[in-house]
Amino acid sequence: MSNKLIDLVNISKTYDSNTVLDDLNLYIRENEFLTLLGPSGCGKTTTLRILGGFETPDSGKVIFDGQDITNLPPNKRQLNTVFQKYALFSHMSIAENIAFGLKIKHKSKKYIDDKIKYALKLVNLDGYENRTPESLSGGQQQRIAIARAIVNEPKVLLLDEPLGALDLKLRQDMQYELIRLKNELGITFIYVTHDQEEALTMSDTIVVMNQGYIQQIGTPETIYNEPENAFVADFIGESNILPGIMVEDRLVNILGAPFQCVDEGFGHNTPVDVVIRPEDVDLVKPEEGTIRGIVTHLIFKGVHYEMEVTANNYQWLVHSTDMFPVGTEVGIRVIPFDIQIMNKPLSEDEEAVNIEE
Amino acid sequence: MKNNRRLLSGPYLFWSVSFIIIPLLMIVYYGLTDPEGRFTLSNIAAITTQENLKALGLSLLLALICTVICLILAYPLAMILSTSSMNSSSFIVLIFILPMWMNFLLRTLAWQTLLEKNGVINLVLTVLHLPTLDIINTPYAIVLGMVYDFLPFMVLPIYNVLSKLDRDMVNAARDLGANGLQTFIRIILPLSIPGIISGITMVFVPALTTFVISDLLGGGKILLIGNVIEQTFKQGSNWNLGSGLSLVLMIFVIASMGIVSKYDKNGKGAAF
Amino acid sequence: MKNAAKKIYLGLILILLYAPIVTLIVLSFNSSKTRSKWGGFTLSWYRSLFDNEAIMNAFYTTLIIALLSAFIATIIGTAACIGMQVMRKRSRSLFLSIANIPMVNAEIVTAVSLMLIFIAIRMNMGFHTILISHITFNIPYVILSVMPKLRQTNRSTYEAAMDLGASPMHAFFRVVFPDILPGVLSGFLLAFTMSLDDFVITHFTKGPGIDTLSTKIYTEVRKGIKPEIYALSTLLFVTVLLLLILVNYQPEKKASPVKKTITTGFRIRTAMVRRVLPALLIVVVIAGGVYYSSQGVLNSDNTVIVYNWGEYLDPDVLDEFTEETGIEVIYEEFETNEIMYPKVNSGAIAYDVVIPSDYMIQRMIENDLLAEIDFDHIPNLKNIDPTYMEQSRQFDPENKYSLPYCWGTVGILYNKTMVEEPIDSWSVLWDERYKDNILMQDSVRDAFCVALKYLGYSLNSTDLDELTAARNLLIEQKPLVQAYVVDQVRDKMIGNEAAIGVIYSGEAIYTQRENPDLEYVIPKEGSNIWIDSMVIPKNAEHKENAEKFIDFLCRPEIALKNFDYITYSTPNAAARALIEDEDIRNSVIAFPESDQLTDCETYSFLGDDVDRIYNELWNQVKSK
Repeated sequence: MSNKLIDLVNISKTYDSNTVLDDLNLYIRENEFLTLLGPSGCGKTTTLRILGGFETPDSGKVIFDGQDITNLPPNKRQLNTVFQKYALFSHMSIAENIAFGLKIKHKSKKYIDDKIKYALKLVNLDGYENRTPESLSGGQQQRIAIARAIVNEPKVLLLDEPLGALDLKLRQDMQYELIRLKNELGITFIYVTHDQEEALTMSDTIVVMNQGYIQQIGTPETIYNEPENAFVADFIGESNILPGIMVEDRLVNILGAPFQCVDEGFGHNTPVDVVIRPEDVDLVKPEEGTIRGIVTHLIFKGVHYEMEVTANNYQWLVHSTDMFPVGTEVGIRVIPFDIQIMNKPLSEDEEAVNIEE
Repeated sequence: MKNNRRLLSGPYLFWSVSFIIIPLLMIVYYGLTDPEGRFTLSNIAAITTQENLKALGLSLLLALICTVICLILAYPLAMILSTSSMNSSSFIVLIFILPMWMNFLLRTLAWQTLLEKNGVINLVLTVLHLPTLDIINTPYAIVLGMVYDFLPFMVLPIYNVLSKLDRDMVNAARDLGANGLQTFIRIILPLSIPGIISGITMVFVPALTTFVISDLLGGGKILLIGNVIEQTFKQGSNWNLGSGLSLVLMIFVIASMGIVSKYDKNGKGAAF
Repeated sequence: MKNAAKKIYLGLILILLYAPIVTLIVLSFNSSKTRSKWGGFTLSWYRSLFDNEAIMNAFYTTLIIALLSAFIATIIGTAACIGMQVMRKRSRSLFLSIANIPMVNAEIVTAVSLMLIFIAIRMNMGFHTILISHITFNIPYVILSVMPKLRQTNRSTYEAAMDLGASPMHAFFRVVFPDILPGVLSGFLLAFTMSLDDFVITHFTKGPGIDTLSTKIYTEVRKGIKPEIYALSTLLFVTVLLLLILVNYQPEKKASPVKKTITTGFRIRTAMVRRVLPALLIVVVIAGGVYYSSQGVLNSDNTVIVYNWGEYLDPDVLDEFTEETGIEVIYEEFETNEIMYPKVNSGAIAYDVVIPSDYMIQRMIENDLLAEIDFDHIPNLKNIDPTYMEQSRQFDPENKYSLPYCWGTVGILYNKTMVEEPIDSWSVLWDERYKDNILMQDSVRDAFCVALKYLGYSLNSTDLDELTAARNLLIEQKPLVQAYVVDQVRDKMIGNEAAIGVIYSGEAIYTQRENPDLEYVIPKEGSNIWIDSMVIPKNAEHKENAEKFIDFLCRPEIALKNFDYITYSTPNAAARALIEDEDIRNSVIAFPESDQLTDCETYSFLGDDVDRIYNELWNQVKSK
């Protein structure tokens, strides 16, 4: 990937003694699909609004293409926003909505008409020029909102939970649509969502946020497979977070049983948190497992079975294509690569990072 | 079950037929008959006499001026209230509900005390060596009284529309490159038209038909159509003529409502 | 900077809205009775307020009507909303547009239409007609407040409640009602406030002897508002302001356990403020209402309904009459003969005693509206100076229908410091030097009297040329006139608002007492000499009581009491003899010598057709 386009430096923002962003640092590269992911109230939307120019940070700087734009009003910024509830102008037709930004810039009529055609084609809504926003479905309105933003040829498109109001099927379609759009336009997308699946599907980079802090930055694979703390592990997908003791490098004691792992450098006999994804738990014959347990719950989920196994007083969550009826005694095995070791939080401050929502 | 529930509007139906519909039909009946009960159009035609036409014209003019002033005063006020972080509901109580506990006639009358030749305002002006304000008993005083009495009715609907306006629409316009003024002209103003329209009717109709304000602040020199009707009923006791003139007034009210509903298609401009 | 501009703007609007209110509050502490003069600080109006039965009655009538009408309207309106919710869209929108009619229609048209229906179904105007009218215009406010709340409620909660075994009634009151309660409450409050502030509709639908604050004030505007009204309004305003502050007062929310006791304390206080105080207020209001209305309420049918000019009788006289005879007096006031006549003529209200002027009495006799008075029942007739009975023959040729109550002349009241030479002619009313300093009478006959007399014609002229000339003269005068008023001439002259005013002689003594610079003169061209007499309408229901009342007013000490109060010349010779102040007893203003009155005429009724011409010409003057 290429060079930095946007740099957020030491950004802090407080509303009525409620700190929303605390000394946030983040850079965004050109042509990147970056997702801000986190529960509501984590500061992701505020970050986006600071980028868009609708909020001014209490302290810190926003650098865009080498220039400080912290105090630049939204209309002077080279980025455009797709709003959560679309914010289409209800008193204008679709064409007028799309033309809005271009008319402000006094583009020629010909140019505007061409742009409208192009944009509508791009979002697969040719011929909708004279419809009113109210006559469109949610998904269509969403695409118009995108069209309205991109005709201005922004360097960056900000998307604030744009799929939040759509139903599941439409949401999945729109995800592919967005990826396609991004590839066709070749610009930077900054995307805000609380839906981890959306984030994993579309992003080049995911920024997991909670309570005003960045928890982890990484590719979808890193975030999913190597969560850096319990919050990330729990927020991204489902996981078993188990108390463990790092006996030595590459050996961890989980619930009294020794497991081989690949992590090093935690010292000797250090208490740690261990993350194991449900699909990484292998159920085998009792005598072949590292520890033994009893299946206590079984649900068919379509792609796989979801089971709960009680072993050493802990309820393990297991996803497997093999089915073990309730009451079966099973052995649990995890391959070393699938065991993720994390430091236990030390102070109360870090505890605050823990999941509450 | 559903039928039972529908019955609940029965008392209301009875009430509105008895005290809204039938009384209005009475006006129509009286307006179209002479004292002997014969059909005539002369009561309606009476509006074309020079005096009545003048009263009607003056009423229309003053109501129009009052509406325009109210709009100019109320719009910024509603904007400030809808965007400011302070508790605007208490401010609305302050401008709208609280003054009503001082009787409307007294409040209007108080303007007489303020505006009189030797009134409070002129005393202050004299102390400051400024030219005095001689508007009592003129149409200016009446317009002032109207603006004073009806301003809240303009503020409220506009405030309601503005406070329900999606802030993101304003943000979107800014985002798309519009500056503050462009955003206001292209987005905020067009979207608040239902509120403006509803405010206009809520101010225009009472201003058009008032007789009290002109009575109290006009010094009996200025006759509005409301005064003409009031006098026809209360002094002339000519119910037929009074009803005829009321009918004409109603036509004007209905006409202005018609114009309004043309713009306020979705009924978004409800004031309350 | 921007914020400062906003604050300044809000401040200016508040000043605009509150300037009159502050003025009224200041006036409530003004020891001068006149609005336009500051006489020093006093609290006495607050004290006398509670003794003023008329005002307190009007106040409680206002409150009770507002409470009742808002309450009934809330019930009808809420029920209507619930019913409308299950209607088809078309009938619902029809219902809603009917609800809109009183809101968008001109108030005066609504008022007039209600008045017409009450008269058509022969409902006597009174408390109930006001109540019905207020309910009518209140219902729309309730519907408009409740309907949106009802639309927001989740229909399935209602169905869920029924599914769980609740009866529809139960389901509604336990599930739906709490949801719409805020709408219902705000509807109630809105209706209450609207009813409280209404004037126009009450003005047209009220009957005799009942007043709300609005109508009371409207009648008093002409004569000068009683300062007690300012006191009452101030009290009301301050009470509501305090209540609002208390209700909106929110203790800071802090959940720490140490402060729990304090928070509970706060909670109890807020609960007090939110529930107990308003409840207490309502109790006070109702108790007060019961107390004051029991004072004025009619215990029996033993009443007499009196219709008199505004401020034309000492209220104590009414009390004394009731005390002595046990007859309750229902007392109503009018401003001009022209307002009085149609009310009596329509028969909507059966008055027992009316006190109109000469020419109006003639009109009433000619139109057969009056009953003959049985003078055997009025022994105090002997106190009346026979000269006035003789004069009465001009309009009551056989002295059968009327008995003189007051008399006087129409003349010019002028401020000696504001005019350059003594005044003795009507011509001064056309003097350019006094532009905007002239107050004219706002009634047809008095205005034309001035013009006709100035032109040297009879004030009873029926000659169209003479009348047109008079009209032209009045139109010519209009730019010079500061205001056309009736009784307000008095206050404005006292307050130095104008130099010259046309006024009845009776007001002269009072105004001179208040402002020694004022002087009264009967112009040399001649003027009107008038007699206001007591008559009994034909449809009176308590004729015997009416005669008792008339006889009572003819007693010397009662007539004297009235004279002291209203300062209009009394025809009661015995009463005049009792006047202690020699200056007044011999005042040429109150009791002019006959040579002053040589060119003075009494009005006579000129027939309905000529009346109409007068009215038309007068309208032409007014609308110029």
